[in-house]
Amino acid sequence: MTDLELAQKLVALAKKRGADEAECLVERGRNASVKVRGGEIEDLTQATSKGAGLRVFVGGRLGFATTTDFTEGELPLFVDRALASAREAAPDERNGLPRGNAVKRHPEAPALGVLWDPRVAEIDPAWKIAAAREMERAARAEDPRVTKMDGASAGESVEEAAIASTHGLAGRHRSTSAWLSCSPVAEGGGQLQTSYWYDVKHALADLATPEFVGREAARRAARMLGARPVPSCNVPVIFDPLMAAGFVSGVAGAVNGDLVFKKASFLTGRLGQRIASPLLNLVDDGLRPGGLATSAFDGEGVAQQRTPILEGGVLRHYLYDTYTAKKAGAKSTGNAARGYASLPGIGTTNLTLERGTTAAAELVRGVKRGLYVTAMLGRGVNSVTGDYSRGANGLWIEDGAFAFPVQEVTVAGHLDAMLQAVDAVGDDLVFLGSTGAPTLRFAELTVSGK
Amino acid sequence: MPATASRRRTKAAPPPPPTGSSRRRPIELPLVERLLAVAMERGAEFAEVYAERTTTTAVVLDEGHIKSAQTGVSAGVGVRAVRGAQVGYAYSDDLEPEALVRAARAAALIADGHADVAPVKVSRQAVPQHYRVVHPLADVEIATKSALLLRGNAAARAHDRRIAQVMASYADATTTILVANTDGYYAEDNRDLCRLHFTAVALDKKTGERRTGSIGGGGRVGLGFYDELRPEDLAKEAARQAIATFGAVDAPAGPQTVVLAPGWSGILLHEAVGHGLEADFIRKGTSLFAGQLGQKVASDLVTVIDDGTVANARGSLNVDDEGRPGERKVLIENGVLRGYLYDRLNAKLMGQRSTGSGRRQSFRHAPMPRMTNTFLAPGDATHDEIVSSVRRGLYCANFGGGQVDISNGNFVFEVAEGYLIEDGKLTAPVKGAMLIGVGPDALKKISMVGHDAANDPGMGTCGKDGQSVPVGVGLPTVRIDGITVGGTRA
Repeated sequence: MTDLELAQKLVALAKKRGADEAECLVERGRNASVKVRGGEIEDLTQATSKGAGLRVFVGGRLGFATTTDFTEGELPLFVDRALASAREAAPDERNGLPRGNAVKRHPEAPALGVLWDPRVAEIDPAWKIAAAREMERAARAEDPRVTKMDGASAGESVEEAAIASTHGLAGRHRSTSAWLSCSPVAEGGGQLQTSYWYDVKHALADLATPEFVGREAARRAARMLGARPVPSCNVPVIFDPLMAAGFVSGVAGAVNGDLVFKKASFLTGRLGQRIASPLLNLVDDGLRPGGLATSAFDGEGVAQQRTPILEGGVLRHYLYDTYTAKKAGAKSTGNAARGYASLPGIGTTNLTLERGTTAAAELVRGVKRGLYVTAMLGRGVNSVTGDYSRGANGLWIEDGAFAFPVQEVTVAGHLDAMLQAVDAVGDDLVFLGSTGAPTLRFAELTVSGK
Repeated sequence: MPATASRRRTKAAPPPPPTGSSRRRPIELPLVERLLAVAMERGAEFAEVYAERTTTTAVVLDEGHIKSAQTGVSAGVGVRAVRGAQVGYAYSDDLEPEALVRAARAAALIADGHADVAPVKVSRQAVPQHYRVVHPLADVEIATKSALLLRGNAAARAHDRRIAQVMASYADATTTILVANTDGYYAEDNRDLCRLHFTAVALDKKTGERRTGSIGGGGRVGLGFYDELRPEDLAKEAARQAIATFGAVDAPAGPQTVVLAPGWSGILLHEAVGHGLEADFIRKGTSLFAGQLGQKVASDLVTVIDDGTVANARGSLNVDDEGRPGERKVLIENGVLRGYLYDRLNAKLMGQRSTGSGRRQSFRHAPMPRMTNTFLAPGDATHDEIVSSVRRGLYCANFGGGQVDISNGNFVFEVAEGYLIEDGKLTAPVKGAMLIGVGPDALKKISMVGHDAANDPGMGTCGKDGQSVPVGVGLPTVRIDGITVGGTRA
């Protein structure tokens, strides 16, 4: 029995046992990784996993159960657990599964780019060991102050999903991903500084080289040696692409249609307004070719799409799954995020802050005194109030050039003001994982230090 | 009481479907011994089998109603083979013997030789009991759990008309673990863990200002726990926090004298020193506490303890995830660093003994050294003495999360509810404050410690290398001189 057949069987069984509507997501995967330290293999990990999540509606009540046990005897118990949990939930007329074209007409696979690479599916463990050793070597070669390694790792995962529903949904998705990760520690002047770099891609050909990952990680660690706090001040602040990606993820948290509907987002009621600098174009692109979060359909089988969030600083869309769209009188934007073990919730797909036109180096050159942020601590973003405050590490800018490394400071503001304060966007879009952003400059933020 | 009513109703209805015995052993002993032997086949020095069966329940309340209830069953086995510092790890959620033998062979690959393995025999260890729960959480009707959320929701909304939203969740896990290794150890542990969590959003309709408050509570306890820690009280506390910070002023930025309220503020210790004392970082030399044993790393007033034996606490362990009994460890004594947190692997490589600190999120993960319940020993000042000693400063009543970089020691933690201290008295609430410091520096700046030690209500989860485990924290009232406050008012 294929996983899609299993999903269909469970859906039919649920219907037979009393569900008005039912949907089943079956996932199966394997992953393996190698970690090297000091040239020696430190960890070899290999795993297989599988699981199913069954969502049912009975009289407008939602029930959900999950299992990792696919044995014949378990299946009816599994279905009954889902039905039993539905009896405990309150009826809600907005409950229900997606139906119609949204779950029957999915984007054609070729337009999605390469999501499955046989070279990753059949990757040789020797390649991973060599790649991890190469990252370590490159990290040490980049800077002699890199004296220790937390480790260098390489791995792959192969995932398959099948989803079926009583509304004719029958979807299959499969993907591979290969990843590299390096975390060196630099030592000097009585300080230890660690950093990391990584890459993860569906196709091996798109993956950064181990040499690049090792050197980039080492560069980020070594340049922090001698870091110290600066006095509190209001100055221009630049986020490097990695930090900019974290920032836009925080913004995207506030366009979650559920929080917006509950008035628990500071962006509630702001659709169509210019909430940000005209330089900002933010898009959630579920169809970005080869993107890590690219798929024909989302976690409840709804076709994924490209949804502009900010266009020239104007708030264009909130993000929805089927349930919250129904609540808000909107349409699902194909943003139901989930694994088999959880109910759908709203999440971003490939979140992209589009590149600007200014060279990243120019952004720094244009600052007389300011902070260039390369690492942050703490979640620090309250999407309800819009308050933003995070610990920051980075480089102090003096007369348009890097002067010395900085740590033990915080960067704070209100997202409303921060979005308006962006006065330059770099042309250096970096896509790590499923979020991409270029270098971003804020005209002024509060830096708290000594 | 609603809980009683629903229990009666459920009894009258057809019995709920069996979830299987919630304390069922995941696999049997002869198979465990066979897997250990297979894992040793290529010349590993040590092998371990960890098996787990977990039944979970989660209930979510939103917009005044039970939005969803769910149950899950998960079972699997992780096999580890060790040679020196090298670890092979493989897991499977397919419990058929052939699948598990495949996993054991995959783990064995860490070694590259061949060994004639004698049959492995393990014997069961007696396990201490810090959290015996008679009636497994998995066997309690969902309606009883939902009732806790509904009671809290009503109480939060009744607390103040400005409460606009209440989000609440209940989650539990009933887990049986089995761990055996080639040293002959074999231990089983039954773990019931639950947590109730409330978030209140307050809206001032006139100004449009929104504030939130949030609190959770639970532990390794049965549901009777919530007869003591009532959901109404938890929910009202979330509502109070949300209301209390209306009209908050921007936090002043820069170094200040800070007073931490007792309890959950123990997260400061967890971030500022706890992680840096975990033996994996020490062995690799990547923590700034490496090589500091016997050194003064904190003020004389600071004694830090990690205690896995606290009755029914969220971070407690009868045995750790390597089968070692949970322990009480003094990490820092009167400011002097006394010890680190060891799992088996790092202890062995460093010539030490395990401190029962080997933990993992699930069978899908290899264990590593982690904290359990981490707290600061009480001093002798009163809360009022500490607050009134501060002319100008910040009082931190409640906290969000925290994070640490163990190499440079930088840590942050978010102040969810804070007040200015002016002439020894709490005045205006502040918003957007965050504390940032370097671990040992901050500990050296502790100038007063209260006698009012308190543990958090049981809501902490700690993340490290992608693995989450439940932890406890605790702290009496503490004064820290000159810690940097991140704010928006420079």
